[in-house]
Amino acid sequence: MTSATQSDPAQLRAWLHGAAHRDRMAFRSLYDASSPRLYGLALRILGRRELAEEVVQESFVAIWHHAGEYESALSAPMTWMTTIVRNRAFDLLRRTRNDADTDTIDHAALESLADVSMSPPDRLQMSSEAQALADCMGTLEEKHREVVGMAFFHDLSHSDVAQKLALPLGTVKTWIRRSLARLHTCLGERGAA
Amino acid sequence: MKLKDNEPLRERLAAEYVLGTLRGRARRRFEGLMHDDAALRRTTREWNERLGAMAEFVPPVVPDKRVWRAIENRLGVHAPAPAWQFWRHGALALWRTLGVASSAMAALLLVSVLRQPGDTARMSDIASLTDEQARPALVVTADRTRGLMTVKVVSAVPLTAQQALQLWAVPRAGKPRSLGVLGANRALTLPLPADAIGADVALLAVSLEPKGGSTNPDGPSGPILYKGAWIRLLGSG
Repeated sequence: MTSATQSDPAQLRAWLHGAAHRDRMAFRSLYDASSPRLYGLALRILGRRELAEEVVQESFVAIWHHAGEYESALSAPMTWMTTIVRNRAFDLLRRTRNDADTDTIDHAALESLADVSMSPPDRLQMSSEAQALADCMGTLEEKHREVVGMAFFHDLSHSDVAQKLALPLGTVKTWIRRSLARLHTCLGERGAA
Repeated sequence: MKLKDNEPLRERLAAEYVLGTLRGRARRRFEGLMHDDAALRRTTREWNERLGAMAEFVPPVVPDKRVWRAIENRLGVHAPAPAWQFWRHGALALWRTLGVASSAMAALLLVSVLRQPGDTARMSDIASLTDEQARPALVVTADRTRGLMTVKVVSAVPLTAQQALQLWAVPRAGKPRSLGVLGANRALTLPLPADAIGADVALLAVSLEPKGGSTNPDGPSGPILYKGAWIRLLGSG
């Protein structure tokens, strides 16, 4: 059984810095520490093993080439890498959506919505930021939380979400707007506390 | 859209940009606005940090080993800047310092590496090649009198049948010179060309390469794994 390494951001930052200086060992350590999270994310977005593997592969090639552009003052290392993986996964999703097998992806998409709220053991592996976000998302109504999660993980527009959940477009827009405002307030309060 | 003074609208658009629900023309227009508005870029980054944490809600899954192998292969073959070029970017001084720092380690290794007592007498120079954590991986010894050098693997990364380690002399100016390729063998004796040990050689380096050696005629095609400097042994030839 493999447990997720909740890597220290300072350590990840040091490895990214090493990768920027073409340190292969640092790059390997970075991969070992972060690839399970990033692969898990790609798998969730794409729902298919071979596509998720392709995205992780492309993303790490990009991370190696662009590590020098990472600005540690501006974002957490995990966020930086997550953004790369999410963008690439969405690019691939857009390309494959035109293919015949959209059913598989949509099925996976709907399945994944169930577990946005976390079981306690899973929480222990999350960063404090993610725990705070999970708590704040927990204060949202279930339907609202679902809509936000759906948009984040599945690259869905307001109208895609409306269509999938058989809701009026205006309702979806309002829910998302309110949910984001509530999250902002909730996270702000937690940050200040 | 009077975005400038409308803080709630700025927050909302930044959040929806990150979430992905800001689409099409609106998305492109937002990107245009961000370009000229540092505060808006910051707001968007903050939302990226907040919502990006959602990625952690997904259980981690360890990817198959072939993913790393594919990454390694792609970086070895397609890297637009050859790995060795970073010697040229001001890092040389630092690396030479590292080489000197590892000389004590090299001296210690002498004892364990050499089996025949007679070997030391014929040795003129030694280099301990270490990884980024200064752990020794290979020891190279030179015998100037006989024009031979010996490479011994102390502890290096395990290689697949398709991989090899290639030893380079990195001069202060010009291209690295290949000294030899190590496959599965743990020790190798090679001829010692003058340009492997001359005064202009700043460092020895070992790169990870496909079987048979670098595909790049100008230097390593794969990443540099180990490096170290020659140390002239006192009292020798």
